[in-house]
Amino acid sequence: MIAFSFRRRIVRSGGEAQGLVSPADWRRPRVKWGLGFAQTLLLVWLVVIGLGPILWLAKSAITPTQDTITHPMAFFPHGFAWSNVTQAWTDVDVGRYFWNTIVIAIGSWLSQILVATTAGFALSVLRPKYAKVITGLLLTTLFVPAVVLLVPLYVEIVHPPLVHHSFIDSYWAIWLPAGASAFNVVLITRFFDNLPREIFEAARIDGCGPFRLFVSIVLPMSRPILGVVSVFALLASWKDFLWPLLVLTDPNKQPLSVRLPTIQSQTELGVFLAAMFISCLVPIVGFLIFQRSFLRGGGLGGAIKG
Amino acid sequence: MKSKGKAMKVIRLGMTVAAVSLLAVATGSISTAATHSSQTVTISVASLIPGSTKAATQQFNNQVAEFEKANPSIKVKPVEYQWTGPTFAAKLAAGTLPTVFEVPFTDARALGDNGQLADLTAEAKALPYFSKYNKAVIAEGTDSKGQIVALPKGAYAQALHYNRKLFTQAGLDPNKPPTTWAQVEADAKQIAQKTGQAGYAEMGKDDNTAGWILTTLVYALGGRMETGTGTNATATLDNPQTVTALNMLKKMRWTDNSMGSNFDYGWSDINQAFAAGQVGMYVSGSDVYTNLVQASNINPSIYGLAPIPLAKNKNAGVLGGGTLAAVRPDANAATRAAAMKWIDFFYEQPLINKAQAIRNAKTLVASKQPVGVPALPVFDKAQYDLANTWIKPYINVPLGQMKPFTTGIFSQTLVPEPEASTQSIYHSLDAVVEAVLTDQNTDIASMLKSANSAAQSAIKQGT
Amino acid sequence: MSTIDPVAAPVEKAQHAQMSKARAEAPRLRARRTPVTWARNGGLSTLLFLLPMLVIFGAFSWYPIVRTVIMSLQDTNLVQPATWVGFANFSQVIHDPQFPIAVKNTAEFALLALVFGYPIPLVAAVVMSEVRKRRGLYSALAYVPVVIPPVVAVLLWKTFYDASPTGVFNTILGWVGLGPYPWLQSQQTALPSLVLESTWANAGGTVIIYLAALTGVNHELYEAAAVDGAGLWHKVWHVTLPQLRGVLLVTMILQIIGTAQVFLEPYLFTSGGPANATLTVLLLIYNYAFGNSLGGNYGDATALSLMLAGFLAVFSLVYLRATRSWSSG
Repeated sequence: MIAFSFRRRIVRSGGEAQGLVSPADWRRPRVKWGLGFAQTLLLVWLVVIGLGPILWLAKSAITPTQDTITHPMAFFPHGFAWSNVTQAWTDVDVGRYFWNTIVIAIGSWLSQILVATTAGFALSVLRPKYAKVITGLLLTTLFVPAVVLLVPLYVEIVHPPLVHHSFIDSYWAIWLPAGASAFNVVLITRFFDNLPREIFEAARIDGCGPFRLFVSIVLPMSRPILGVVSVFALLASWKDFLWPLLVLTDPNKQPLSVRLPTIQSQTELGVFLAAMFISCLVPIVGFLIFQRSFLRGGGLGGAIKG
Repeated sequence: MKSKGKAMKVIRLGMTVAAVSLLAVATGSISTAATHSSQTVTISVASLIPGSTKAATQQFNNQVAEFEKANPSIKVKPVEYQWTGPTFAAKLAAGTLPTVFEVPFTDARALGDNGQLADLTAEAKALPYFSKYNKAVIAEGTDSKGQIVALPKGAYAQALHYNRKLFTQAGLDPNKPPTTWAQVEADAKQIAQKTGQAGYAEMGKDDNTAGWILTTLVYALGGRMETGTGTNATATLDNPQTVTALNMLKKMRWTDNSMGSNFDYGWSDINQAFAAGQVGMYVSGSDVYTNLVQASNINPSIYGLAPIPLAKNKNAGVLGGGTLAAVRPDANAATRAAAMKWIDFFYEQPLINKAQAIRNAKTLVASKQPVGVPALPVFDKAQYDLANTWIKPYINVPLGQMKPFTTGIFSQTLVPEPEASTQSIYHSLDAVVEAVLTDQNTDIASMLKSANSAAQSAIKQGT
Repeated sequence: MSTIDPVAAPVEKAQHAQMSKARAEAPRLRARRTPVTWARNGGLSTLLFLLPMLVIFGAFSWYPIVRTVIMSLQDTNLVQPATWVGFANFSQVIHDPQFPIAVKNTAEFALLALVFGYPIPLVAAVVMSEVRKRRGLYSALAYVPVVIPPVVAVLLWKTFYDASPTGVFNTILGWVGLGPYPWLQSQQTALPSLVLESTWANAGGTVIIYLAALTGVNHELYEAAAVDGAGLWHKVWHVTLPQLRGVLLVTMILQIIGTAQVFLEPYLFTSGGPANATLTVLLLIYNYAFGNSLGGNYGDATALSLMLAGFLAVFSLVYLRATRSWSSG
């Protein structure tokens, strides 16, 4: 019951529910000190592994290459090298690849949302007779690992049947296949299943057609699930490497994930580290701003039992 | 390019410095002669490797502008390009290669037989200088039906590149690079001990480069990787010289500890490390200096170039190869004609036409790009020497520091790369080299045996 | 490419089970079957809503799946016409000396990933769930590696793994008198190095799942245990872990399914080296299809993909059973 589990969890985390360690436990000195120590240790550890690499990258982005090679852990033994950053921006052209990454992510997101909401609406609200067959076909794709699709999908993009025009080096080659996520359709169908059907019936009696029902009633009600699907979609697109590597051979169209490894061995270490640091900035800042949705999306696994 | 090839069938070469790599500029007889149609043809052409400097890119664009000015009906779109074994096939299958692209000597014939390169026979034979090509070089770009499918960009011999600064720091004479493999070992050890850098490094990546360099070593010791030709060839990867070469690497790596701590260098990585002063000596093509400037910003004063030391064995020779320019098979007649004009302008004219060679050298010098990097002739030796005299005033590479090579290569025997299934042979050897460099207890004999059987089955299948 | 998202997938599985239940209970609209009434009753607009999904799935999921099966039985290089070769591709793959190496490495990767990446996030989540102040800070810190683009993460760690004594990790370990270690430059340590990075990059996501699952543990059980005088360990052992059993099983199977398809790390860190020590099944598939400069061997590549898929289907079934019994129980 996904809709309810959300609400319930929010109530829970806001309330003073008792957890694993009861107030009585907390009063015992061994628990208090032991757990307190474990928590502090964990915090230190998390800072080291969570922030450490990023801070090192930030430092090295403005350190001369030779210093990074010979004394990677020293703090600016021979001053700064701001030129790394400017070179990463102008020579490596990080900005362009960043933009490509964003364009790819937004297109993939749109395609996933469009396919998942329309299909979910049809399967859950309109419920045609053949819904079962389609759902069955959808579910089988969940059991087919992505690797199976790699080669035939690649061949299809190169030599598409019917349309005799290669989709290589076109963003459509990424956007369209991204829409084929059975997981999203299932997630949204489930959510729609749990919306109160009386509302739909009432709207229908008021003469509301399926399109108005979809746009004015169902979509506005599904904001929470759309947020979750969006986070998944953006993260997945952000992480994708192999597929864009195969279908985007034009360097002007590649996302960062494809471009960075290509130039690594031809780029001075300091400049390359600066380019990597710039690539990290936006996702990290985005994460800090939208922390809540990220973590809620990520923790969705916990909602299953609800 | 990490290009290889069964270059100029075992010829004795006297050679001097040449301006081959990037040189180009044309018009001359060919480009003015042909079409005056109003139809604009657009072609894409291989330009520089990813990550090249702004200056190099600018220089390339200047050449494009010059070409377009001379050929108003042709639009040229430069596309950055780097041939590597593992990435070429995807581009080939995807049909995303530029109209004009480059392949190593080793691959052109098989690609031509597979119908994956355009037939350039008519256009090539129409070139006024066609008869002057070195027959062995033109054979590299001719498929089994006798069609010419690719024209030479340049040829190279393998060479020993060394860091003069590290030599000096280690107390070695930078003007006396090693001339035997025993000296290479000794010098490497001394560099490693005195400077803490890798005395000798070698490509060890799983992209055929490790096998390419091992084959170079084996040739230098007098061994060969196969006998016979075509699918009937017999793989001889486990010949005694391969064992000797691997044991030498093993000694430098594990006993002398003179090979540093990174063993997964690819072609570009090792250039980068060398330019950064982390490598004392390494083996790569004689024309690598161009890349060291274009992508790695090398300080010219540290660079030294020597010939590969050859063992006292009558079969000992230096591995040579080269790069060819080819055209996509789906190009129509007009596109093919435009592509040929580009090949003529960019690759061939600077080698054969005095005015163009000089103009080209001038533009290269103006944007601080290397002129005069040592290569091997694709026409005859006399033409090669002549071209070098044209550009002499513009040569900006440290010629004096390349002298050991340019004088030494005179007396070396050039041996082409294994002919059948070249890349597969290299690939089978990759794992052996990696094993020796990363595991002290590698069983060389058994590794070589399985590499040999893998290579043999690739030869049989013609892959 | 849609990949199974290890974070996302637990939900959906549990849901199929319940979805079909919900469907069965729902009332159905009955319509008389002529094309006209069908269209008038909204059959047409229903189809219109389904259209994007049908087109996209047809073209980019169902059709390629069928195509894989066909290609695995053919010999083709996309230039010359394809020929049927029966199961020759499968036997070629099985007899490839690299095949057992790739399988062994993949299994080792999956196993090591479980050893490294399974208990640590659980312990961390349990400790974190009892943090009273700034719990958000903990989870945010744990999650930072997850938002770093994976390619950047791998390339950054490649710098850390520099095997020279002045490499980042070797410098740090040198402070306490350890090393220098060869990391990626040795057949023995290369694969564990890959797993270590992969664990760093993914553990945060698992922690967040466990944290969410922990908030779902029925609190009355804790209270009941406390009334019975149970200590902290007792509660962890007899309440928390049994309650998390389902999530634990699901994350384990998903992790196995994910690691069986590991590609990014071996491709970018080592390209399968040194001496095939990090060659994984997916990298082998990639090499078959795209690794030879004279053209791809799509037959072998698809044959091996199908073999991997068949193997993973077993896990998927176990997984489905697990989530089913667990969500109905």
